[in-house]
Amino acid sequence: MPSAEAMVAPCSMPYCKGCSHGLVVRALGAALEATGLPREQLCLVSDIGCVGLIDRLFPTVHTVHALHGRSTAFASGIAMADGVLFDGALKTVVVIGDGGATIGLLHLVAAAQLNVDVTVIVHNNHLYGMTGGQASGLTPEDWITATTPVGNPLPPLDLVGVLRSSGATFLAREMAMNRGLADRLGEAIAHPGFAVVEVMELCTAFGVPLNSLNGKKLKLLAEQTGEPLGMRALDAGRPSFRAAWKDKHPRSGAGPQWPETPSTGALSLDRPLRFVVAGTAGERVQSAATLLARTAVAGGLFATQKKDNPVTQGTGFSVSELILSPEPIHYTGIPHPDAVVAASQVGWDYLVRTGVAARLDEQSLIVADEGIDLGAWGEGAVRLPLRARVRADGAALAALGWLAARLDVLPLNRLIDTAERAWGDKAGRSVAALQWGFEAGG
Amino acid sequence: MNPPTGRLLTTGNAMSAKAALDAGCRFFAGYPITPASQIFGAMTATLPSMGGLAVSAPDEISALALCIGASLRGVPSMTATSGPGWCLMVECFGYALMTETPVVVAVVQRLGPSTGAATQGAQGDIALVSGATSGAYTFPIFAPSTAAECYADTLRAFEWAERLRTPVVVLSDKEVASTAEVVELGGLPQASGAVRTAWGGGEGFRTYGWEQEADVPPFAPVGGEQVVTVTGSAHDRAGLLKKNDPETLANLRHLQAKIDAVEAEIGLVDTDIPEGADTLVLSYGVSARASRDAVAQARREGMRVGFANVRTLFPVPRTALGHALRGIDTVVLPEENHSGQYRQALGDVLACIDVRPVNRIGAAIKPSEILDALR
Ligand SMILES: Cc1ncc(C[n+]2csc(CCOP(=O)(O)OP(=O)(O)O)c2C)c(N)n1
Ligand code: SF4
Ligand SMILES: [Mg+2]
Repeated sequence: MPSAEAMVAPCSMPYCKGCSHGLVVRALGAALEATGLPREQLCLVSDIGCVGLIDRLFPTVHTVHALHGRSTAFASGIAMADGVLFDGALKTVVVIGDGGATIGLLHLVAAAQLNVDVTVIVHNNHLYGMTGGQASGLTPEDWITATTPVGNPLPPLDLVGVLRSSGATFLAREMAMNRGLADRLGEAIAHPGFAVVEVMELCTAFGVPLNSLNGKKLKLLAEQTGEPLGMRALDAGRPSFRAAWKDKHPRSGAGPQWPETPSTGALSLDRPLRFVVAGTAGERVQSAATLLARTAVAGGLFATQKKDNPVTQGTGFSVSELILSPEPIHYTGIPHPDAVVAASQVGWDYLVRTGVAARLDEQSLIVADEGIDLGAWGEGAVRLPLRARVRADGAALAALGWLAARLDVLPLNRLIDTAERAWGDKAGRSVAALQWGFEAGG
Repeated sequence: MNPPTGRLLTTGNAMSAKAALDAGCRFFAGYPITPASQIFGAMTATLPSMGGLAVSAPDEISALALCIGASLRGVPSMTATSGPGWCLMVECFGYALMTETPVVVAVVQRLGPSTGAATQGAQGDIALVSGATSGAYTFPIFAPSTAAECYADTLRAFEWAERLRTPVVVLSDKEVASTAEVVELGGLPQASGAVRTAWGGGEGFRTYGWEQEADVPPFAPVGGEQVVTVTGSAHDRAGLLKKNDPETLANLRHLQAKIDAVEAEIGLVDTDIPEGADTLVLSYGVSARASRDAVAQARREGMRVGFANVRTLFPVPRTALGHALRGIDTVVLPEENHSGQYRQALGDVLACIDVRPVNRIGAAIKPSEILDALR
């Protein structure tokens, strides 16, 4: 293993005397040197904390000093882009503390799942050094820290274990004082997928004095917690993110072109018409409204279609607000609908609950399935056997067909044209529903 | 590529996604949220086959962090979210601003606070988004009011993000982004291709090597031949962490200066102001749509009323608004929030003008409400 001298700047280490961070810096320098890679193919992404003060120490490689805990996510973005959009030559190494690994745990888990080509070196000194020695998620049980003055009540997170179960393909745990550390880091960096090395460290400012810690006790601690020291698990079978992506996504084209807009002969409309179509989710309320809108647009008219549904998209009401107009449409609300369609009880109830029904006046048409209880609105409403004749999923379409005919909005052949264009040989039942409604309204 | 013709029934979200692709976006990381998910869906469906990357992030912090990483590698990147997701992105957004990393975030507003109402529109995030950075640094925020403007403003967002090395937000709202409407393809602007000012090579590179405070420093990607030093901590032009240092403070001023310097050029306000009008309806986003109808009706009633649709919310387009407000003594300012967030942001731009706010939450402002304020 070459020495770290060529890689690490000769300035003084920014850490307290005896801090293990310095040992890892030297080992990392030697490991990077040993890769033999050109400097511009090496990138260090550092987290926040004492651990992150490395930019000045590695002046010849790319360095990104990230946010607290987010270093692994930034590194993953760099490595994904480099792997898929470039030649994948860049080696990205994250330098992070136990604190960063606590606040940013999900980024480590995600990187392991993705198996991105990122090496994460977790500098575990068992507490937040920079902020004054508070407990992290990796602080051992019963430890004294600034925030656990009578001893940490929680067991430490087994980080390597968590990442093992997340799919990490290279795992190691080492003492900072171990002479073999540089070799281990080198192996991790050479690994083409996600690699994590947890390095057991001393924080001489807090961890050591508060817990009368020394190297020997640290080793004991390491042996009692988490995965075994020196352990190294390599799963070479799982493809890296880059390999998996390239396999799944062969490059096939220049991307989407503008869709062909059919232009049928001009249609005319003497005024804007505003419909509220209400039904039940899954019963093709939206696609019925879209059919009218598309037909109008193909004929040179203007249309807007606004969906409303509960937060759960597959259940409950489904409402479509549809405006057809000879002029461009700006305001898309419908304070006074020309017609409402009630294709199901659930849909109608929503119109009552939200005050749409209360705003209807004498001019507004109500076209409703005959089975719906319209309450006070029953009188004067148009009742059709929609659900019985064209089934639940044809009800909205049939009602709109009825309106198209009765209000002389859109011709049947154009509506059928749009349906066939949209649904091809599956258009049969929709066309039948349209036809039935149109004839009933004509 | 021939300019497109014809017309399309489509949504603002779909147009934003198309614009991103046309602008050269090749990396998208997303986390689903109504009413922005459609952008994520469109990018997932299209980017991979074009040789780009569209990935699912485990949360919005990761989504923006991944985009920033890809952009540091030199790839135009984008994510999309709504209020709750934006809250998670704020820390990374500040990082993008501080590290001068281009990235575009589409924020589709829904009714807040908190989880609020996912399927209800609002214009309630003007202050939340514009005030995202500690120190209140200015970054471009564009506000489309139609599906076609979603296309144009997303193109602009990429162009300015790359040119200025800054994060940019396209701030739409549920109604504008997810209501299907007609887009006349012939009327869309052509993508000019977003270009990042690149380091040309040679000696003397510094990661943040501007000469004049308002300059944009030439960019070199992480992983490129020129080694870079990127940091979100206060830094000198070399990218090295430095506290209490005149160059560090100058660098912070530079972050604001480069935006201020382009105010007139980036400021976009669409106006329709008849000769002699002394009243102006000034709006943006969904409320600009009702404003158009209200202004048309007011004119039919014989009022001489102007209309201004503010497309660049920030930096506050002082130059463009200065022109629009010439001779105007009354401004009606509708926005779908309860406190008039943009009215407050305009501050002294509206000094000496009789301002009539029209505010409501829960539904788009109606043309009739704007007419009432005009009468
Ligand atoms: C979001 C956020 N929260 C809190 C902090 C404050 N902070 C700075 S360093 C640090 C702890 C660092 O601990 P660790 O990652 O273990 O590194 P060490 O200092 O021990 O090397 C914290 C909490 C921050 N910078 N950002
Ligand atoms: S506080 Fe602890 S971690 Fe930080 S430099 Fe000092 S010894 Fe190292
Ligand atoms: Mg620590």
